[in-house]
Amino acid sequence: MGLLNFTRDPVPEAVSGDMHNLNQLSAQQFSDLTEVLFRFLTEPKEVERFLAQLSDFATMNKISLGPLKNIVKSILLVPSGALKRNLSPEQVRADFIALGLSEEKASYFAEQWKVNSPTLTRLAVGQTLMINQLVDMEWKFGVTAGSSELEKVGSIFFQLKLVVKKGSQTENVYMELTLPQFYSFLHEMERVKTSLESFS
Amino acid sequence: RLSMSPSRFAPRQAPSKDAVRQLCQECFSSPPASLGPLAVRTCSSLAVSPAEAEQLVPALHSLTRHIVYRGLVRAEDILALFPETFHQNLKNLLTKIILENISAWKNEAQESQISLPRLVDMDWRVDIQTSSESISRMAVPTCLLQLKIQEDVALCGNSPVVSALTVELSKETLDTMLEGLGRIRDQLSAVANK
Repeated sequence: MGLLNFTRDPVPEAVSGDMHNLNQLSAQQFSDLTEVLFRFLTEPKEVERFLAQLSDFATMNKISLGPLKNIVKSILLVPSGALKRNLSPEQVRADFIALGLSEEKASYFAEQWKVNSPTLTRLAVGQTLMINQLVDMEWKFGVTAGSSELEKVGSIFFQLKLVVKKGSQTENVYMELTLPQFYSFLHEMERVKTSLESFS
Repeated sequence: RLSMSPSRFAPRQAPSKDAVRQLCQECFSSPPASLGPLAVRTCSSLAVSPAEAEQLVPALHSLTRHIVYRGLVRAEDILALFPETFHQNLKNLLTKIILENISAWKNEAQESQISLPRLVDMDWRVDIQTSSESISRMAVPTCLLQLKIQEDVALCGNSPVVSALTVELSKETLDTMLEGLGRIRDQLSAVANK
């Protein structure tokens, strides 16, 4: 396999097997699956909906959901990398072919990539920023005794310190959250956990 | 990255080092409401026009506070905040002065209850990546969390600086984080129920 555009790392062994299985789908099936994938890629927080649609696809096409999820994870490696690197449809097509997907299906996927490109580009803007690893987290919360703003008297605030690693450097990031923001943050993180679990 | 146009830092004659040192200190310590009068005083000590001072003082204020809140301690990190076209000697001088003052300013910030930067928005998505931990290299889901953080509104006046931080969380890191956040929620409930 030549150099891939979407990643510099070696690709999981399972991927070529998954591409082989994808090649067995009819053009219509592949088109349906691609539609589900792009709906997710353009609205990435709609994890529950995505999984429901995958489940429907599996049922309708008499495929087991477990293997289908693995195939989907292999496919999604490419868009994930492509968004971070701002790849063109041609590069996406080339990568799928290099991974073992048929030319016809790779071209079809790349065409959908192009069609959805405005939304995907907008999402990618956030991702081309450097991605950091979260190393540690500390917090404290306290009560403001009073300040020049009357509303803040006696309000609880939550202070968070994130220790993040950018390459070899470590940086501390401090921020303050209001109590509603804290609960919202917790709620969102619980949603993330559920989402990650359903992908495993 | 703070936006600092080079023209804000181009005094017509070289200011004395002491004047620059004093200015950095005053810009850091000054609450936003006092930046205006500080700018006026700066005109004469640095031989800059009122318009230049009006841009210089808040920019230096944001810069020094940003450095303190982000915990930047290395010269390279501070130098990196300046635009490339920035006056070299002045950049080095400012960096040197800031480094000399950082720990004192940190103490000052903690004591005076200057607010921390605030979380203004967050977003996330699931990312499928190759896990480098397992020998067979599996595709695993991770979370990309983006936090939008605004330097204290009071600090930045009319142009608050919002920076975005994107953090990758593995499932394990997320579980640990949730454990911590859950404990906080329990503590808050205990306080509320007293």
